Amino acid sequence: MRRGFGRRFPALLMARRNLRRTTLRSVLAALGIVIGVVAIASLGMVGTAIQQTATTTLGDIGNEVVVSPAFQAGVGRLTDRDVREIERVAGNSAVVPVKSTRASVRFDPQQELATIYGMRNPGDIYTASDGRIPDPLRSGALVGADLAERLGVRPGNTITVAGDSYRVVGVLATQSGFSPVNPNSAVVLPQTAFRSTGYSQVVLTAESGRAANQTAMAVRAALNDRGQRVEIFEFASITRQIDEFFGLLNVFLLGIGFISLFVAGVAILNVMLMSTVERREEIGVLRAVGYQRTEVLRILLTEAMLLGVTGGVVGALASVLVGMALNWIALGDPLFVFQPRNVGFLLLALVVGVVVSAASGLYPAWRAANANPVDALRK
Amino acid sequence: MPPADPPVRDDERSPAPDEQSPATDERSAPGGKSAVTPTEPSSPGDESAVPVLETRGVGKRYETGGEAVEALKDVDFSLAAGEFVAVMGPSGSGKTTLLNVLGLLDVPTTGTVLLRGRDVTSLSDRERTTARKRTIGFVFQNFYLIPTLSARENVEIPRLFDRDPSTRADAEALLRRVGLDDRLEFRPDELSGGQKQRVAIARSLVNDPSILLADEPTGNLDRKTGRQILEEFDRVRDRGVAVVAVTHDPLVDEYTDRTVELVDGELTR
Repeated sequence: MRRGFGRRFPALLMARRNLRRTTLRSVLAALGIVIGVVAIASLGMVGTAIQQTATTTLGDIGNEVVVSPAFQAGVGRLTDRDVREIERVAGNSAVVPVKSTRASVRFDPQQELATIYGMRNPGDIYTASDGRIPDPLRSGALVGADLAERLGVRPGNTITVAGDSYRVVGVLATQSGFSPVNPNSAVVLPQTAFRSTGYSQVVLTAESGRAANQTAMAVRAALNDRGQRVEIFEFASITRQIDEFFGLLNVFLLGIGFISLFVAGVAILNVMLMSTVERREEIGVLRAVGYQRTEVLRILLTEAMLLGVTGGVVGALASVLVGMALNWIALGDPLFVFQPRNVGFLLLALVVGVVVSAASGLYPAWRAANANPVDALRK
Repeated sequence: MPPADPPVRDDERSPAPDEQSPATDERSAPGGKSAVTPTEPSSPGDESAVPVLETRGVGKRYETGGEAVEALKDVDFSLAAGEFVAVMGPSGSGKTTLLNVLGLLDVPTTGTVLLRGRDVTSLSDRERTTARKRTIGFVFQNFYLIPTLSARENVEIPRLFDRDPSTRADAEALLRRVGLDDRLEFRPDELSGGQKQRVAIARSLVNDPSILLADEPTGNLDRKTGRQILEEFDRVRDRGVAVVAVTHDPLVDEYTDRTVELVDGELTR
């Protein structure tokens, strides 16, 4: 079967035999390509893994928009009218107006100063790890995960907030990431517990980072068109900046990969030049027995491509292993390596490896094909 | 009966003395038009009378170290079908240059080369290569087999790119003819000098050429093996293939139809 293959692709047959003649040299030349391909592919994967780690950390709040009053413009509170306006433009986003203050929280024998939020519908943005979140919240208190742990509070207990007693109905799940409205060390009470009017923040939760961005723009347009009234804190823009940074990092890493492939190309050029000089007479004979220049060119280019394809495939396989190890360390999931972006890097590395080899083989092949057979065969 | 004179282009006859140097001695066909100047044989039935290969007033000048060397001077040479001709002469007399010109590997500085009556002097490299492949086989002193290929594959080499399924059987038949049917899968380094030269002869015959050109074919062989090779040429000639052997070896004389001598680039006999 192998012989039949060589018969159908005579250039491949001759190229393979030639490469096997100087096995070590061929292996070393292909090794250059292996390293280059691994560099491109695995550095690309490193970028993906780092980015993934970063976006996972930010993921919980990436679709959150927080609207605060513009203190600098003298706006101290958001009014019910502001909230209605926000609800009007928010589309599908959940809108949670928040009142906030700081007060002492007591659960005998401990006492602690904590942030107190007043919310009507905290279930729209939080989940409970213990107990439940009534919707709407009319009575009782929700305690943030960290605070509950410090005080030893469980649902059913009664805590004292600023002198009033509240029954704890739920403990909130830990929320990762950072946010101006972070519940981990806070207590959430019904809004009726606050005597003040107006809100300190409005939290919007959209379906995605992109939707959050659109909502933020809509709110800005609706409330700020006649002078600065609100400030909008949008997490998606932070995520975007982080994305941009990692994109840059990726380009840099890829650049290093391309440099190593370029070096590999020079190695192949060198090997091919040596090989054609050594085989001058053989190539002269091929010309003498009726090989066209293009046929000689084809044989030698096939040789260079064979180095590239072999090196590229080995390199791609090695990259997958490297990537799996990397993802296992960084994300704890080796199979995360198989995602479209990384497959793209693998293909890119493989293609570039083969193209670099072919390009490196071009000059030696061209030189050999155009050598004068009379000179080559001179004794 | 000689064929009608082919139309000869003036610029072929009298180029500038240093127009052709060895490194750039390939002429490309002028313009896109084919440079072939076909010469009609006098009549279709007359073809056997046309020499398979002929040179008229061929000269070849090299430029080496600023010094012009005239390797061939006004050589008229004619080869009939099935003829065995030896070209003898001292080293440096231009024998190999003549063989290269006859084999369309090299282009003369002056004069005309006719292949079966057709002017092939100013063909493009591609056309020359095609003509060479169809009609001419080469045998070299150093055999020049490809060391990575088996005897059979070496014989197949000239036709490898034709993707012709019969090549393999033809190669085996040729190796059988030269007595190597038990060495088909041997690599060149597993063969003796005489066996290598016989593989080379089989290779030169695989395209069914009408001319076989041999450069010192017995040069690297002992006397007994040399005789076997010459007997091989004799059998080749019996099949109608014309053979030209360039040699120092007086042994060759015994097998040839005639011997010409080249001294300082001039054909003397």
